[in-house]
Order: sequence, then C-alpha cells, then structure tokens
Amino acid sequence: MSEEKMKILQVYRSEPTEDVKKLVEILNRDRDASEFKLYTSNPNYDMLVQMIFEADQTVSWW
Amino acid sequence: MSKKIYFLVQNRMYGDGVRSALGQAVENHYAYPVFMYGEFPRFSEYMLENISWIKDMEGDVLTMGADAPEGVDVELTPVTLEELGERLREADVIIPYGLPKQKKAPPPACAE
Amino acid sequence: MSADPNKLGIFVTSPQHMSHVLGVAQAAVRAGKKVMVFFTYKAIHLTKSPDFVKLANLCDVEDLAICADSYTCEGYDPETDIPRGLVPRQMRTQAFHGAVLEECGKYLVL
Repeated sequence: MSEEKMKILQVYRSEPTEDVKKLVEILNRDRDASEFKLYTSNPNYDMLVQMIFEADQTVSWW
Repeated sequence: MSKKIYFLVQNRMYGDGVRSALGQAVENHYAYPVFMYGEFPRFSEYMLENISWIKDMEGDVLTMGADAPEGVDVELTPVTLEELGERLREADVIIPYGLPKQKKAPPPACAE
Repeated sequence: MSADPNKLGIFVTSPQHMSHVLGVAQAAVRAGKKVMVFFTYKAIHLTKSPDFVKLANLCDVEDLAICADSYTCEGYDPETDIPRGLVPRQMRTQAFHGAVLEECGKYLVL
C-alpha cells in the first residue's frame, strides 16, 4: 500500500529570496507541491482559496 | 492536539514574534521562534523572560545565520539554513512573521 | 473540539497586505467557506484602512479579533478608540490565535 503524499502549497507575498527557495526545496521534497504568487498585479483569490482547501499545509512566505 | 509552530523572524522590527510564540506555548503548543540573519530585537528583560518561558514549555528559540550578540545573557540554538529546512518539514504550522529583512541599515533615529 | 475543514484561519502579521486579507476572505465566502481572522502587532494598523470595515462585515463577531496589547503598544487607546467594525469583545489576546489554530481546518499567514 502506498502512502499518500502530503500536499503542500507555497504562497509568495513577494519574490522569494534564494534562502526562501532553498527552504521551499527542502519542504517540497517527496511531497505533492504547488505554488501561488501573490505579488502579481491582480491575484486570483478564488484560485488561491481553492488551492488552500486542496492542500494539507500552506506556507505563506514574506 | 499540540502542534509544532515555527515563527520565522527576519526583520529587526518584528521580535514581537517571540511574544506571539509564547502565546501559543501557553496554549500547549510547541513554539519555536527563529531569528534569521542576526536580525535580533532588543533583548529587554521582558524579551529575555519570554524566551526563557518558551524554553521552559518545551519549545526552543533558534538563530540562523548569526550568533547571539555578545554581552547578552541569552542562549539561542544555532541552526543552518538546511537544518532549519529539515526542522520545518516536521512543523505543523510555519509562520513567516511580519515583514521581510530590510536591505538598508537603520538610520540613527531607530537604530538603537 | 476538532478543526472545521470548511473554515479558513488568517493570521495577519504584516501591515501591508490588507487587499490580500480582504480578497482572500471574500473569495472564501464566495466559495461557501467560513473565515476567522486575527490581526497582531503592527498589522493592527490595518484596522484604520477602509477595507477593514468590509472585512468586519464578512466575519461573524466571534471570528474576527485584533490583539488589544498590540493596539495599545502601537499608541492607540483600546477603550476609547475601538476600530470601526469591531465591538469591545473583539479586542483580544494571543489566545485568539490559539483558537484560530484549533477551529480552522485551513490556515494562511498574511
């Protein structure tokens, strides 16, 4: 029986630094990862909410 | 159920993440404030007491990228970026707290 | 009490994302979800934004609060200057953040 992968969502409030990218790389390892950029001009909040509710964990970086 | 909660602080103005972490320690969670890049708050008596309480309640206070400042009676647990990443994998909640690190050094008006 | 899988908790720690707080909360309500929001430390300045009242109108009284100590530390008076859209019992402590973590199945930091 295969264990289901944890779904993790990475949200960026600003463009991620190299260190944030490294932390995200470690956090995403062996996980079902997705991302959402909030620092665009018109973020699609409906899509973000849908993604949050589909994820097991959401991390919202600075 | 008790959660492992990390409060990541990388801006000198947001040492308040420690108070927020203590707030969750007293709610029976494991609280871990992390100072990044030496962006420490002023270690007032209040701040030092909060750090001590967090440790007493099975949490810890970490520092990534800098040693605790000399002359301050505080023990922080040093971690590398990679170690922090591995620890965050075990976290139930990750809170990048407040604002990101400033690029500009503070002017005299607010540097102390 | 177990977390409600249809409830989104938002922990607001940054003073510069009111449009995101309101945008996410409105989207969650459109999707039939409940939202619970706590503002702490310098994020309490967002209570002075016109959008804050819109947020307050979206949330149940029991599901929106700010940290009263933060509000005081930032120079406001928590008794005579309660933010528009809030009632006195929404001036709370960090324990409200604990309630967000306990009651909400999903969680976002802004």
